[in-house]
Amino acid sequence: MKKTIIIGGGAAGMQTALRLAERGIEPLIVEKEADLGGKLRGWHALFPSFTPAEEVLAELRRRIEEKKIAVRTHTEVQSITPRSVTLADGTTLPCDAVVLASGFTLFDAAIKEEYGYGLYDNVFTSVDIERMLNEKRVTRADGSAPRRIALLHCVGSRDEKVCQQHCSRVCCITGVKQAMELKQLFPEADIFNFYMDIRMFGPGYEEMYREAQQKCNVHFVRGRISEAAPTIDGRVQIKAEDTLTGRPLRMSVDMLILLVGMRANDDNATLNSDLSRAPSGFMAPRDHFLHHVESNVEGIFYAGTVTSPKNIGETLDEAAAAADAVAEYLKN
Amino acid sequence: MAAINFGYSISKPRAIDVDRNNLRKSDEILREMPELQTCIGCGSCTAVCTAGNLTEFNFRKVHTLVRRGEYQGAYEEMNKCMLCGKCRLVCPRGINTRAVVMLIKHKLGDL
Amino acid sequence: MTFYAPFCLPFILGALSMFAIVAGKWAVWLYRLPRADKMAILRGLPSRATLDAAGETICESLLHRRIFRVDPLLGYMHMSLAFGWFLLIAVGWIETVAYLGFRYVPLQGHVFFKYFATGLAHKPFFDFVMDLLLLFVLSGVALAWVKRLRSKAMGMRRTTKHVLGDRIALSALWLIFPARLVAESATCALYGGGGFLTGTLGGWMHDHLGVMASINLEAAAWWVYSSCLGLFFVAMPFSRYMHIFTEIPLIFLRRYRLRSGEKKKSYDRFQVEACSRCGICIDPCQLQNVLEIDNVQSVYFLRDRRYKMLRPEVADNCLMCGRCAAKCPVGIDLNTLRLNSRDTLRNLPDKRRYAYLKEIDRSQGAGRVGYFAGCMTLLTPRILTAMEQIFTAAREEVWWADRDGGVCCGRPLKLSGETDAARKMMRYNTDLFRKHNIATLVTSCPICLKVFREDYALEGIEVLHHSEYILRLMQSGRLRTDRGDTSYTYHDPCELGRGSGSYEQPRAVIEAIGRLLEPADTRENALCCGSSVANTAISDRQQVALARNVAAELEATGAETIVTACPLCKKAIARGAAKEVHDLAEIVAARIRR
Repeated sequence: MKKTIIIGGGAAGMQTALRLAERGIEPLIVEKEADLGGKLRGWHALFPSFTPAEEVLAELRRRIEEKKIAVRTHTEVQSITPRSVTLADGTTLPCDAVVLASGFTLFDAAIKEEYGYGLYDNVFTSVDIERMLNEKRVTRADGSAPRRIALLHCVGSRDEKVCQQHCSRVCCITGVKQAMELKQLFPEADIFNFYMDIRMFGPGYEEMYREAQQKCNVHFVRGRISEAAPTIDGRVQIKAEDTLTGRPLRMSVDMLILLVGMRANDDNATLNSDLSRAPSGFMAPRDHFLHHVESNVEGIFYAGTVTSPKNIGETLDEAAAAADAVAEYLKN
Repeated sequence: MAAINFGYSISKPRAIDVDRNNLRKSDEILREMPELQTCIGCGSCTAVCTAGNLTEFNFRKVHTLVRRGEYQGAYEEMNKCMLCGKCRLVCPRGINTRAVVMLIKHKLGDL
Repeated sequence: MTFYAPFCLPFILGALSMFAIVAGKWAVWLYRLPRADKMAILRGLPSRATLDAAGETICESLLHRRIFRVDPLLGYMHMSLAFGWFLLIAVGWIETVAYLGFRYVPLQGHVFFKYFATGLAHKPFFDFVMDLLLLFVLSGVALAWVKRLRSKAMGMRRTTKHVLGDRIALSALWLIFPARLVAESATCALYGGGGFLTGTLGGWMHDHLGVMASINLEAAAWWVYSSCLGLFFVAMPFSRYMHIFTEIPLIFLRRYRLRSGEKKKSYDRFQVEACSRCGICIDPCQLQNVLEIDNVQSVYFLRDRRYKMLRPEVADNCLMCGRCAAKCPVGIDLNTLRLNSRDTLRNLPDKRRYAYLKEIDRSQGAGRVGYFAGCMTLLTPRILTAMEQIFTAAREEVWWADRDGGVCCGRPLKLSGETDAARKMMRYNTDLFRKHNIATLVTSCPICLKVFREDYALEGIEVLHHSEYILRLMQSGRLRTDRGDTSYTYHDPCELGRGSGSYEQPRAVIEAIGRLLEPADTRENALCCGSSVANTAISDRQQVALARNVAAELEATGAETIVTACPLCKKAIARGAAKEVHDLAEIVAARIRR
């Protein structure tokens, strides 16, 4: 039986493994964390349907167990070739093909120092909010309920100043989704989204955006927040230009939420020096149409956000396509 | 303070009439600094602006109007800039904003 | 003896033209000096400064001591040409005296003495010494050839690209001494005499060429020698070799405390024409060695300015980091000259500008210590927060000048050439500081620091960078910190290090709280972060490239944390670094003993 090693046990890795197993190919998932699930583990609900992330994750895990798919957790990969994977401890695992499904790295919001993440209380990231939603305890640092919340789009995306030129795509809709969730939790609160462009690319996204505006009374301000400063009463004062009126805007908020972007993993550069990467640092597939799950090295395949920011639906689709491509490759 | 109603002049028509505006200077400016075209109008420059914090000055608006061929008053507006460089430090497009100020002043100084 | 032959004519005409032009230039430059400068010269003339200047002239103009520090071989090359030629002239004069006693000998008589002295009894001592000196100079010429072909061997990665006038003068200069060797040897071939060099070569000619050929060769060679000298002298005042006669008055004027300023003045001419275009400023330039921009360095800037072909693209494209000035063997004040060129290109006095500054005061708090964060620091709130913690720990009452947005210090405007407009900001801030009656002004921004110290009239107010202030708090026991085992590496901000001479204080602070590891280029040689406000020409991408280069060098120290003392450097380096970059204040605040 042909053996394929899948690097990364997130949504992409699990789906690829399942599809490979169905085709009679032996998959092995190598995951650096203690559990399968990747970034999906920390997520609360998925846009646009508010499906609990846990629901999707539990089903994927159940299938993995059902199919008795081999998984090595706590295992970091150092380098790959089409026929082998070398682990951080130096052992080399032979195989017939490799699928790189190692996903992305979250942008560290502390790098955008001017927003005060990690410095002021009451500045959060979108990831913090998902975690708090999961814990069913969304509050300000002092435990009180927020009355005014600002969400800032494009933190670590489309920003030359942090060398992240690309658009992370899903933050726009995440901002809309979280605004609606927060509005539900705090119906009295005023919620403001500060954006440069709103990109509603997925099915149902535009409708959700409209719903946030019309039903939830979420405010959208076109302007990027430039600075945040603490106020004496523990709130956060933000500065932006309200570009639609052409005037500077100042506002004190109880919570500032930074919608952090997706950036390429640092080890993309070191896994195999023959693999070509896009200027963004994400892996570059052979082409964007007919070989979008193949790398430029034969026998190494890609699935999910290792090639570019994607939502969960796209990731699962791509994982299936990757499994197809692997099967086709191993047939020859 | 000199009363400059940049972009709000009553005597001028409200519309930016690109057909009538002479875009020669604007083209010259963009030829010398093509990166100015990459502005996505996020307003970061204006939000951090040291001068804009003290007086009515909107860098983003001035250079956008100049690009449309609206030069009236642009030089005087740009002269409010202190060239401190905060805007360059925040511009997500990496535009060399200080050079933009200097270029616009240079090109429109004799208007 | 007549001391005249037709071949002397090119030399005589060349020398006359050179002396006339050089004297004319000096006279005009001196005449045009402002009154204050003239007074400074008059005061300085009878003082010790004159003696010091004479000493420096010998050390630098003749021996080229500072070039030896760059590279010994390069130093030897410059010294052998300058000092060797000087000795040839000086010893040649003594030789004439030794032969003829004290009597008037025209200039060409000294220079072409070998040609005229064929009838006199030989003095082997002088034959030997003059040959030795000629060999000394010829070795320099040979090295100059090597440098053109293989500059690396002489400690220079790149050499200057020269203009046509320089090439003519250079070719003439390189031919002078080989021509002299041949001419003197040919004379020896016909009349005997000469030392180990000219005598030996002359003997060989005598044996192998025959009398007729030697006669022809002698006539031709002296013509060539004289023509080369003449050509060189004519080209000299218009070429880079003008530095030979400009560096000397420059050294004296500098000793008399003449300085260039933000506006052009006559003294600048001495500085500009004292540049020998040696090209030592090219290698330290990061625009050159990282970005491969190779037409803006100080040597090219001075050249363009001298020949009145300076373009804003060249004047603006400089980080003003001062790395080249630190290496300049002539000690030219390169940054100030560039500054006043920018002033000429851009300064527009406009009385109405910044009228909006009137009556604005957004400062907070009260205290004898004023804190001016600086525009950039407002974008690095970690520095601001750290300073607040430090002030609190030291129980300092602080007046916050610009926490809610202040007025720029004026240095960025000044650096871009709008010097008059910058003055308005300086005046505004000075009034603000005076109004709040502070005794000490602390700033976190070295750019502000430099302008506060150099351009503001802040008598009675002590201006400190926060690194100096923090060190003082630590030394006086007002701020107590714990030493940890973190290793730090320190990046010298240009305006704090080379700009303000503060190298020790930040290091003392870091060493008090952890281990300090120095990067390869440090202190006077420290690299620039690349985001200097002085440069309005390079793009964002180019700034990142410079930042990556600096970050790589800092990370190569193996230190856990990169420390700097400038908000702009911090932001810039963080873009290129994988490791954490912190301001000095942050790492101190994190180690305050409670």
